[in-house]
Amino acid sequence: MAYFGNNQQRGELQELFTDLNDLNFDKKKEAIKKVIAYMTVGKDVSQLFQSVIKCLEFQDIEMKKLIYLYIVNYSRQKPDDAIMVIQNFRKDVRKSENPLVRALAIRTFGCLRVPKLNEYLIEPLKDCIQDDDPYVRKTAVLCVPKVFEVSPELCPALLELLQKLLEKESNALVLANLIQSMREIEVVNGKQLILMNPKIIQKLLLAIDECMEWGQIFILDYLATYDPVESKQAEIIIERTLPRLSHINPTVTFCAVKLILKYLDHLDNGDLVKNLCKKISPSLISLLSWNQPEIQYTILRNISLILQKFPILFENEVKVFFCSFNEPYYIKYEKLDIMVRICDSKNFNQVLNELMIYINEADPHFVRKTIKSIGKIGIMYDKALSEAVSILVEFAKNVQQANESVQELFIQMQILYRKNRNLYKTNDSLKILFNILEYANEPEAKSACTWIVGEFAEFIPKSVDKMKEYIDNFLIEDRLVQLQLLTSGVKLYIKYPSLCSALIQQLINSAKDSFNPDVRDRTYIYWRLLSTDPEIVKNLVCSVPTNSSQFQKDIRLWETKDLIIALENMGSISNLFHKLPNQLYKNIKIRNNHQQEAKIYKADEKQDIPQKEQEIKKEDQNQQIQQQPKQDFDLLNFDEPVSKSNNNKIDVYDLI
Amino acid sequence: MISSLSFINQKGEILIYRVYKDDISRNEITQFCAKMIATKENKEFPIINIDQTSFIHISIKDIIILATTKTDVNVAMVLEFLYQLVLIFFDFKSKICKSYFQGNLDENCIKKSFVLIYEILDEVLDYGIPQIADPNLLQKFIQEGGVQQETTINIEKLRQLTFTLTGAVSWRPIGLYYEKNELYLDIIESVNLLISAKDTVLRAEVVGSIELKSKLTGMPECQIGMNDKLLMGKQQKQTRQTIGISIDDMKFHPCIRLPKFDKDRTITFIPPDGHCQLISYRISENINIPFKVNVFYSEIIDNKLEIRLKIKSIYDNNIYGTNVLVKVPVPKNTVNAITATALGKARYEVEEQSVIWRIKKFQGDFETSLRCEINLGATNKDQVWSKPPLRMEFQIPMFTASGLRIRFLKVMEKAGYKTNKWIRYLTKGGEYLHRL
Repeated sequence: MAYFGNNQQRGELQELFTDLNDLNFDKKKEAIKKVIAYMTVGKDVSQLFQSVIKCLEFQDIEMKKLIYLYIVNYSRQKPDDAIMVIQNFRKDVRKSENPLVRALAIRTFGCLRVPKLNEYLIEPLKDCIQDDDPYVRKTAVLCVPKVFEVSPELCPALLELLQKLLEKESNALVLANLIQSMREIEVVNGKQLILMNPKIIQKLLLAIDECMEWGQIFILDYLATYDPVESKQAEIIIERTLPRLSHINPTVTFCAVKLILKYLDHLDNGDLVKNLCKKISPSLISLLSWNQPEIQYTILRNISLILQKFPILFENEVKVFFCSFNEPYYIKYEKLDIMVRICDSKNFNQVLNELMIYINEADPHFVRKTIKSIGKIGIMYDKALSEAVSILVEFAKNVQQANESVQELFIQMQILYRKNRNLYKTNDSLKILFNILEYANEPEAKSACTWIVGEFAEFIPKSVDKMKEYIDNFLIEDRLVQLQLLTSGVKLYIKYPSLCSALIQQLINSAKDSFNPDVRDRTYIYWRLLSTDPEIVKNLVCSVPTNSSQFQKDIRLWETKDLIIALENMGSISNLFHKLPNQLYKNIKIRNNHQQEAKIYKADEKQDIPQKEQEIKKEDQNQQIQQQPKQDFDLLNFDEPVSKSNNNKIDVYDLI
Repeated sequence: MISSLSFINQKGEILIYRVYKDDISRNEITQFCAKMIATKENKEFPIINIDQTSFIHISIKDIIILATTKTDVNVAMVLEFLYQLVLIFFDFKSKICKSYFQGNLDENCIKKSFVLIYEILDEVLDYGIPQIADPNLLQKFIQEGGVQQETTINIEKLRQLTFTLTGAVSWRPIGLYYEKNELYLDIIESVNLLISAKDTVLRAEVVGSIELKSKLTGMPECQIGMNDKLLMGKQQKQTRQTIGISIDDMKFHPCIRLPKFDKDRTITFIPPDGHCQLISYRISENINIPFKVNVFYSEIIDNKLEIRLKIKSIYDNNIYGTNVLVKVPVPKNTVNAITATALGKARYEVEEQSVIWRIKKFQGDFETSLRCEINLGATNKDQVWSKPPLRMEFQIPMFTASGLRIRFLKVMEKAGYKTNKWIRYLTKGGEYLHRL
């Protein structure tokens, strides 16, 4: 029975050939099984095509299935031989009383994908679409997109049949397959095939209750692309969808959530919206504690999208996102990300307390993300600032080696200091940081360190020596560090002109011949300014930025206009990667979105909802205006460490 | 939809490979396999997109089940489908390779039953679109191993089968008969608990599952009543016994009539034949936490650590917890541990890096303690010990942490037979964590 046996001798094909042509039925069957086994491991057994299809004359279903599998695999290599099978298929479809055989034949026929065979397929396929047996119909319906993919020119009549079937079909499963099949064709074709009317909607809603889970997914997913004409209609569809929130298949639940969330925009009744949100929220949270981590992950990836438009759903639910010790890291990362997004002026303390625990975990990458998140929360909420710093300082006390997380610590501390200069006093933070400066080895972290040394020179006992150490290594540093060294060196010179005159000379000497134009330019600017009017330099470099509102609080994942499209595609692969479908798939065109503003569902006090919305809109506009001149000063960038160009911007900000 | 399905072993070899759409080549899969074996990261993330092809996979022990697609499909659906596929195989396997493999999908078994697997794969997906994935139904018309041979001959029966398959009650075939009619309900709750180092409860949640096993004749109509607060409030005036519990969320097997539940919260259904998970639920309010744990770590001298642990059971004293296991984490450089306890056994297990305390039977309303003296080696003292949480596992029969009770279980069938019913309760420790 070991079909995957290791003793593969030379004459195996010959042997199989003999067995296939043997008169003994059992021997034939065994031989066919062997052929399939070889096919599976990737061996070419296409030479046996003729012998294999000869075996089709037997009425044994199991063998038939195997032979069909073989034919599907090799039909494109041997189109001429495949013609010989056509008669068999047609006979099965037309003559067999057994619905399973009819369905099997039409299903396999569709999979041949040889253009010149397809014309023989059209007539039997038409019969099958009109078969009395629903099992045959549901199979036939799925056969149409297969044919359409290979030879669309043959299909107009079939498409018409499908449209007719949509009108009159009563079996829920066939209907669900029909919808899915027509959608597949729509994707290839680019034309709308399903013509919606209230009657069909009514039918689909009925079918949801009757068909199996996958069918429910197809229908819900399709309905979610539809725009209801009026509030009443939206209400009815939502009402019929609500029970699906309790389905045991997480995808059914999720599709129902998707549909309801989309239709919320079309509802007039504000109280109803609130009630619905209350119903959706527990369902979604159950999905988050689903016992299969992979599914949990897909849901989590979608939450950050939902969160942007519907913060109301996760009001007071931040605990749901707390990481558990044994979870896979890909889930922990997502949860961390969401915790920062969900964090607001009320619960930041809770979140920070939780993050404080993660900081002690073993995985350095996770700790790094945690530190980053703490920094972000500190930046976002003024009140959280000192708490964030004290957590980070506590962490800094225990640092004993140069690892990934320490690098992030320097970067975040620098940003926090920038926000509020007086923080250096908190818990001796500056002193503790200074003790571990040597652990910085990533360019960004180093640049953060040099900034700290320059900025707080007067509070660091040996700041000049430290700076000298850095400048000695100037030439081997990264561009990012060099730029920061220039600014910090000048800062130090302004503060201690007599002590640092040799230092600044050395710095300018090493920098002025740099190959990097940015470094060179900046050197010359400082050089000239220092030689003409040091007072200007002082104002430039040492001024304390008073305007800390420069630090944006915008952590939105999506642009408003993209948000709408993204929500329509909730659950899809592109969405999982936080991209729009057309960004991931070149051949997909997305619907143009005319809606410029998205309604945000916030949980707030009962009064003046509209006013709030207006405020949000205004805010949006303001932000857009602001964004233009200064581009992205994106300290809260969620992805990998802030890119170089961004840092350049920070330096410019330092200069001006 | 799904372009292909393949089963891959740990070495990255393809065991089963079935194509549903023409847009993928075997080459792409082998390349991906090589990549996945090479790096841990690829193996970890459930979905990876390479040049417009998405590879979605789950791992069951040593076997990786991989689906590929080139379209923008619903990921959760594909994943759920893969999981259901595994369930189907388990179910089939218990009937086919009976003595060999029990609830275990391994390479040998796949190779042995590849004909069957291809047959199943042929039926569950068509053009990459999920079709019938109910194991009971699939068995009815898959021919391998002589299962249901006779139906292939009887055309009338076949018709019935296809109508069941596509009908509204697809999970239950017509014409079942049992000598004895029996119905079993198992209520299994697992408690997820997270307690902070300061002894405050950060999260307490019960995830429960109601499992049904039915051996019933005909097309019975069943109804279950639970002490659900929303339902009880509607039915009668509240007395002391009838104050129900509030359930955050419930998820139902397809057989339960969802619209009916949505309307008046009654749970009615025609049960599938055999075993199924009927309801899963989640409760986060008023949880009876079964064990209270107090733990103190103290350093006696430089390389000696003392751990004192106290556990108190907070359930009725006529109930017993069984197989209680406490994992007390100890530092990496532990040399040995001297333990002292009045109940059960405790010892240091190197591979777990913890002292494991096992108690076979734990009476309700009882307190016991453990004292450990840990001797530490002098090695790498600089490294900080990232304290993992203390974990607990246990099983408590006849107890529900949420307080959920089945109030009634009705079976109605036109034949009017008598049904034997069993209801069992069990509470287990899920993620039962105590931070240190």
